Amino acid sequence: MSETMQEASVQDVQERSVIDRSVRYPVLFFFTAAAGWLFLATLLGFASSLKLAAPELWDACPWLGYGRLFPAHMDALIYGWGMQAGFGVMIWLMARLCRVEVKNATTLIVAGNVWNVAVLVGVLSVWGGYGTSMPWIYFPAFLWPALFLSYSVISGTLLMMFKRRRGGEAYVSQKYIFGAALWFPWIYATANLILHHTGGSAVMDAGVNAWFMNNLIYFWFIPVGLSSAYYIIPKIVGRPIYSYQLAQVGFWALAVLAGWTGFNRFLGGPFPSWMPAIGGAASILILIPVAAVAVNFLGTMAGRTSLMHYSPSLRFTVFGGIMFNLYGVFIALSSYFDVSRYLQFSYATVGFDILIIYGFFSMVIFGAIYFIVPRITECEWPSGKLIRFHFWYTSYGIITIIVFMIAAGLAQGGAINDWSGDFMDSVRRGNGYVVALAIAWALISMANLAFYYQLLLMFFGWGRKTEGPTLIHKKPGEAMSAEAAAGFAKEETA
Amino acid sequence: MKTEFSRFILGLTAAFALPWLLLIVLPYYQLSTIEPELYSEEDEVDAAASYPPAWTGASSDGESVYASSGCIYCHTQMVRPTYAGVDMWRKGWGGNEEDGLARETRPQDYSGDSYAMLGYMRIGQDLANVGTRHTDRAWYHLKLYNARTQVVDSNMPSYKNLYRKRLIDGQVSDNALKLEGRFAVEEGYEVIPTEKAEALVDYLLSRKMDAKIPGQGVEKEVAAASTDK
Repeated sequence: MSETMQEASVQDVQERSVIDRSVRYPVLFFFTAAAGWLFLATLLGFASSLKLAAPELWDACPWLGYGRLFPAHMDALIYGWGMQAGFGVMIWLMARLCRVEVKNATTLIVAGNVWNVAVLVGVLSVWGGYGTSMPWIYFPAFLWPALFLSYSVISGTLLMMFKRRRGGEAYVSQKYIFGAALWFPWIYATANLILHHTGGSAVMDAGVNAWFMNNLIYFWFIPVGLSSAYYIIPKIVGRPIYSYQLAQVGFWALAVLAGWTGFNRFLGGPFPSWMPAIGGAASILILIPVAAVAVNFLGTMAGRTSLMHYSPSLRFTVFGGIMFNLYGVFIALSSYFDVSRYLQFSYATVGFDILIIYGFFSMVIFGAIYFIVPRITECEWPSGKLIRFHFWYTSYGIITIIVFMIAAGLAQGGAINDWSGDFMDSVRRGNGYVVALAIAWALISMANLAFYYQLLLMFFGWGRKTEGPTLIHKKPGEAMSAEAAAGFAKEETA
Repeated sequence: MKTEFSRFILGLTAAFALPWLLLIVLPYYQLSTIEPELYSEEDEVDAAASYPPAWTGASSDGESVYASSGCIYCHTQMVRPTYAGVDMWRKGWGGNEEDGLARETRPQDYSGDSYAMLGYMRIGQDLANVGTRHTDRAWYHLKLYNARTQVVDSNMPSYKNLYRKRLIDGQVSDNALKLEGRFAVEEGYEVIPTEKAEALVDYLLSRKMDAKIPGQGVEKEVAAASTDK
């Protein structure tokens, strides 16, 4: 059955702390390294959007051109932060849910180092003018085997953990992690082999590239994010998932539909027209798993949403859940020609990508990190105030990016579709919104600095040693709810 | 329990493998093996020519400069048919309208590239047919050096790193950029394109995706629509 809040026996508590100790170093390693990348990624996001607003800025220096800052920003965000933080969450969750210890912590850390070095070389190459310009496969061709190997070690560990698992039926979270671990190497190898090592159709290269981007979203970012949300939400509100059946439907519907998407990034593109069409249709049908997730989360939290006032994990996770639903709706809408003729290739493209990678995935992962780190370091977050700061600056930033990029997309698209008008109209109309993009990334960078600072304190064991978790707000009169918000924390540390 | 686990793995694999095979592997093979078509007499094209046309002048160096400079983030190379956008109605986007050649892009149009730079965003103009719109090398060089020399409020980044400023040795070089007003360099200096800039311009000049399609004649209606305006 699902994640019920069972009475934890003394034995359970001991078992958990043994498991937590076994994953401690790899998980902390991935989190802190990822947070460093995140800070760099958001600074690059700020610099690149500033370049859009002021094109002559720093123009003597090729390293600071938009065409290099933007891919470096996306690389650091996806491979440096996103996937790496995801590894940490996957490892911890898998160990916890399978109730098995990690035996190869050192191997994982070695794999993690290989990953980091490869990403570093990759980002520097893109920055230095050796990028490929293939969206999200920007790294030079020689790097992918290193990333592939490193990932295989991590995913092999996860798959073995699942196989050794104790206890009956698998939780939905485990299934999502298992899926992500299994699918990604296949996706990554396919895309890289076709793009770098075969001389086939140039157009299909671009198509496979788009398929890779969507598969990375639907077969990796979304499953990993959902696995965390399916764990955190029931845990913190202290009741099982509303419907296990529905969760199953959502899982399989996503798995069956996701692989067909991708070509819908090029509606009307130079492909046999069934290919973008089937991508569009699948994107619309993905509303089914999206709705299943929404109903399940709402049903689980019904009547206990006030816990969001206290629990950082729940608050970040719920924000991510809302963004996930928005993404589903926007992508379904953009699969219609009436919408895509305006939004395709506009600023909305980057808006949607940020919506899913940052608005959904990163926020859910922040939630998980706020939950996991105190358990493996055995100390509490130093400051609830800084968590609040992190949440509000990030969410303001994300909402700004999404609202302004969609507005910019509509303004641009409207001007381009007025075919008798001057093309520059679309540039002029889009320009103002770009300033908001720069401001939003600046806000998010500040938030991430606070996050990184707190995480480093935890890393060095300088967290609070007092009893009870750090909450966002704690009022004396609401001590009861605050305790409930702490959820499992209390019974574990007891 | 054992069978349930293997059924789970089988399910995951099948869910992924089906689109992988039908959407990626087979079409990739199919599109990679399109044979060039020959024109017939009705097409009124030089008999020796075939579609897609053999590529001339396009260099892979140019493509790699295009890639490493990140042109793809703001420029598409993809003209959508009218059901998906009015790209073809924009002057010059679909190709040479006066000869009635304007049309949407097709898979064969990219056969000379190693990767089709279809694009990510369209902040600047579509470049699928930029080679038919502009044939003057100096125009490209000025644009790349600083787009504000031509359009006052363009937001295209400057690619000054593709150009070199040097002391004039005797006479001004033929290929020196004609920079005026606030873009002018100090007396006695000139700005000349590097090899990379020349390669990039070669690549851009090769962007002509309006070759006639064998057996389809000229698409009169489209041509009429775009020249009417």
